[in-house]
Amino acid sequence: MDRAKPLLEVRDLAVYFPITRGVVLSRKVGEIKAVDGVSFSLAKGETLGLVGESGSGKTTVGRSLVGLQAPTAGSVLLDGEDFLALRGEALKQTRRRVQMVFQDPYAALNPRMRVGDIVGEPLEVRGGISRAAVRQRVAELLDLVGLNPAHASRFPHEFSGGQRQRVGIARALSLDPEIIVCDEAIASLDVSIQAQIVNLLEDLQRRFGLAYLFIAHDLSMVSHISDRVAVMYLGKIMELAEEATIHGAPLHPYTQALISAVPLPDPDIEDARQRIILKGDIPSPAKPPKGCVFSSRCQRCSAICREQAPDYREIAPGHFIACHHPGQAE
Amino acid sequence: MAPLLEIEDLTTSFETEEGLVQAVNGVSYALEEGEVLGIVGESGSGKSVHALSVMRLVPSPPGRIVAGRVSFQGRDLLSLEEEAMRAVRGKQIAMVFQDPISSLNPVFTVGFQLAETLRAHLGFGGAAAKRRSAELLDLVGIPDPHLRLTSYPHELSGGMRQRVMIAMALACHPKLLIADEPTTALDVTIQAQIIELIKELRRDLGLTVIWITHDLGIVAGLAQRVNVMYAGYLIERGSVREIYKEPLHPYTLGLLGSVPRMDRPSGGGLTSIPGKPPDLSRLGAGCPFAPRCGLADDRCRAEMPPFDGPDDSERVRCWHWRAVVDGR
Repeated sequence: MDRAKPLLEVRDLAVYFPITRGVVLSRKVGEIKAVDGVSFSLAKGETLGLVGESGSGKTTVGRSLVGLQAPTAGSVLLDGEDFLALRGEALKQTRRRVQMVFQDPYAALNPRMRVGDIVGEPLEVRGGISRAAVRQRVAELLDLVGLNPAHASRFPHEFSGGQRQRVGIARALSLDPEIIVCDEAIASLDVSIQAQIVNLLEDLQRRFGLAYLFIAHDLSMVSHISDRVAVMYLGKIMELAEEATIHGAPLHPYTQALISAVPLPDPDIEDARQRIILKGDIPSPAKPPKGCVFSSRCQRCSAICREQAPDYREIAPGHFIACHHPGQAE
Repeated sequence: MAPLLEIEDLTTSFETEEGLVQAVNGVSYALEEGEVLGIVGESGSGKSVHALSVMRLVPSPPGRIVAGRVSFQGRDLLSLEEEAMRAVRGKQIAMVFQDPISSLNPVFTVGFQLAETLRAHLGFGGAAAKRRSAELLDLVGIPDPHLRLTSYPHELSGGMRQRVMIAMALACHPKLLIADEPTTALDVTIQAQIIELIKELRRDLGLTVIWITHDLGIVAGLAQRVNVMYAGYLIERGSVREIYKEPLHPYTLGLLGSVPRMDRPSGGGLTSIPGKPPDLSRLGAGCPFAPRCGLADDRCRAEMPPFDGPDDSERVRCWHWRAVVDGR
């Protein structure tokens, strides 16, 4: 992993959705800042975990990286080149390098297409390949993700959820990408199947040097798979650091509360634990609190937090935080 | 003291296109008053159908409770008249479901729906029902309860809706609360709030709770006893310490290995369980976990083991639990 020269760099990414009123004469009355000034980098072979609760904007970040969502502002650099400014053939060639695995393996696969065609479609779109070669490659890919290549002629409904997610991974791998965005790729699977898919992703990463942006709400799984973790809340990154730091010595009160909320499968630890229970609900992204977005639920909130949004700054080498009062949990 | 709820050999089947499916297969256990029982299982394990069977809410057809006894405070619920059963539901056993938005009626206010429960079961009049509804919302930690009575379900967040569902379930002082994946649709910080609420309610009201979940982590800090279900069978049961510290079934052990632990430094792969959950319409006579089990032999594939365990404890249905103990 070469962190000094990142493969992907996201700078001040912002995605705003307009709130409109009226049907015929629709006018803009406000905006939802789904993603607001998000910056991070991703090195070759690295896994960056992106955690957050609903409405944090984590999925929108992922969609922006693969070109499914046009950002309002900011840039996405791939090997130093602005991915978002590319057009035509150059865009097509670059898109190949960043692929995505979706949350719902039921919705992400066309029910009328055979699995072999689903996995082979990206190859045909790219072109310059014979049908026999596509079939050959599809068989390789299915084998790679632990499916029987003979099942290429089956339809998605003949597979279980875990197997469908393997099909989705095979499709993402078909164009030899360098980065895969995994958007809640295991959230809809049973616990015993989640572990299988995570192990598969880790195995593929070792073999092909893939970089992952692993988007999830489940902090324990994100911690497990990630080298670094970014914690998002209402469109902003609250804290980003090495996994061991996020896990062991987080400085942002939201990260601390999030870790504290994860139930542990050990009755002794659970009995002894002092939980930080956050008050209230996640505010609506249409009406975020003034100042720091976390201020309405924060235990350390002071006057400045309600007035002024904290800068996103590097508090220690590689440890970024947006908080007026960073510090260890009491 | 007699247990509050005693289930014996409960079996529920569904008529499907693939033939008769046993969704719940000979489940037996007893629940003491004041306890929290966690029921853990993956999709298709029968954990939800078992709860619906206790409430006699299994949709019929295609479902049918084909055998067993559900004894609640000494009364057999399965032989009650429908009218008598209606009095038990809500009043003595209440249920909270996974998805609060589909459990609430979208066209009535929260206050109306709460008052409806109070009127129907307890005969409350208008003003008294309103007062009691506000008290209930306050009990489950909803701020400005009087104001919230006039809210419609869509105006509330997911966590608030689930609190409303819990308030509704508690309206008639039930002895037993069955919560079926009540926090699965919620964010973790909201889930932590709901779990804390249930702990408080148990302490303050002496509530007995059955908490159904797929997440082993949740019940570790909440339950006193845990049942593990797989493919309709109850395959392991025990105190929360026994299940987490001394699991006897290879499936329980595998499930514990499948979840990453936040309290330990990460690194190393997860010990996943190979294969996938079984197709219930194609179960043989043997142990349903045998196709995914590293310890399975011919006997496992031919014959479902009875309950066994150390010191005749009847904790686990596995022929090879001793091997699990040795290998743990």
